[in-house]
Amino acid sequence: MLRNRLTWIFVGLAVLGVILYVLGIRMTKADLAISAAAEPIWCIGGHLEGAHCSEGTAIPVTNSLIMTILVDLLLLLTIIFGARNMQLIPRGFQNVVEVMVEMFYNFAASVDRKNIAKFFPLCATIFFFVLYSNLFALVPGVGSIGICVATHEAGEAADHPSDVFAGLPGYCGEGHVVPFLRAPSADLNVTLAFALVAVAMIQVFGFQALGVGYLTKFFNFREGFMNAFVGILEFISEIVRIVAFAFRLFGNIFAGEVILVVMAYLFPYLLPLPFYGLELFVAFMQAFIFSVLTLVFMSIATIAHGGHDDHGHGSHEGAELAGQGSH
Amino acid sequence: MTDAGLRLIAAALAVGLAAIGPGVGIGIVFNGALTAMGRNPEAEGTLRTYMILGFALTESLFIFGLVISLLIAFGIV
Repeated sequence: MLRNRLTWIFVGLAVLGVILYVLGIRMTKADLAISAAAEPIWCIGGHLEGAHCSEGTAIPVTNSLIMTILVDLLLLLTIIFGARNMQLIPRGFQNVVEVMVEMFYNFAASVDRKNIAKFFPLCATIFFFVLYSNLFALVPGVGSIGICVATHEAGEAADHPSDVFAGLPGYCGEGHVVPFLRAPSADLNVTLAFALVAVAMIQVFGFQALGVGYLTKFFNFREGFMNAFVGILEFISEIVRIVAFAFRLFGNIFAGEVILVVMAYLFPYLLPLPFYGLELFVAFMQAFIFSVLTLVFMSIATIAHGGHDDHGHGSHEGAELAGQGSH
Repeated sequence: MTDAGLRLIAAALAVGLAAIGPGVGIGIVFNGALTAMGRNPEAEGTLRTYMILGFALTESLFIFGLVISLLIAFGIV
């Protein structure tokens, strides 16, 4: 019954799409305005000049900052409503929240059972924040509803397919739309902040577990030239991790948004649908990869460096991880 | 050929060529992990950890290409 109804809703939406397409209500090339950086909406201590803040602005409030605060509030609301009058046998929304947290906890515990209590809060925070911000990037209206900022010369109107589209209220013909909301993970500043926190905490946990001995992983000049070289490589790869963390998340989510926009331009109403499904999967996968990588790097940082036996390094780590995983 | 046109070609080449190697590499990583999981299902937890680690290390090469491509496309270098 439900399946039947869903089919009818889908067919109805497809017919509506075709009608709108014939009427000329669709994207044109002029509407393909993609900005890689977040745009300011409101300038504290200054004023907005087109798409930029004027000089002397204290804090530019960008659209991704607004979305970050919204996502934070939604996370808080989820927990407040999930944990309000908790019961031993969970029902309803509490059940959903518990399942989400427990699934991630069980997976994290299978990676590193010994330090799970220390690592779980940070990794789960990263996971749920990134998951929420990736999913809210796909909500219709985010990244498409906003202020119209004039960029074209006056009189040089964009070529729109029909007058029906141009006659709609709120049509932005002579410029591009600066959206009110932008997904936090599609802003490099947010992902870089998360990457910095993650890599810094990896070092903190490494020092906590091994003391100053953690540094011998990077500066190991006592055991020959080869180990010194490997140590320096480790040091470089630690810095590269920040870039990789930040650009992996930013690249995937931003590229996903660009794909959706381009598909909406190529074949409106129908072609974006399968890509929406793909983006839902990517949203979950990227949140998972970011948090699990943090967890794995943390767990490797807390394992003592097996420098005294030359060949045992890899197998030693493997044995320890396998031992923790099999409990 | 204008400077802007050359930049577009360079950016497209940077990201396109950078995707070849990691594409093959990620395939090999998952191939190995799935084969191992199939042969030894008990080791799935450990294998999954190393699979994701290998995936990340391989994909970071592509990310360098992406970074260079973005730098070229937006005229930073």
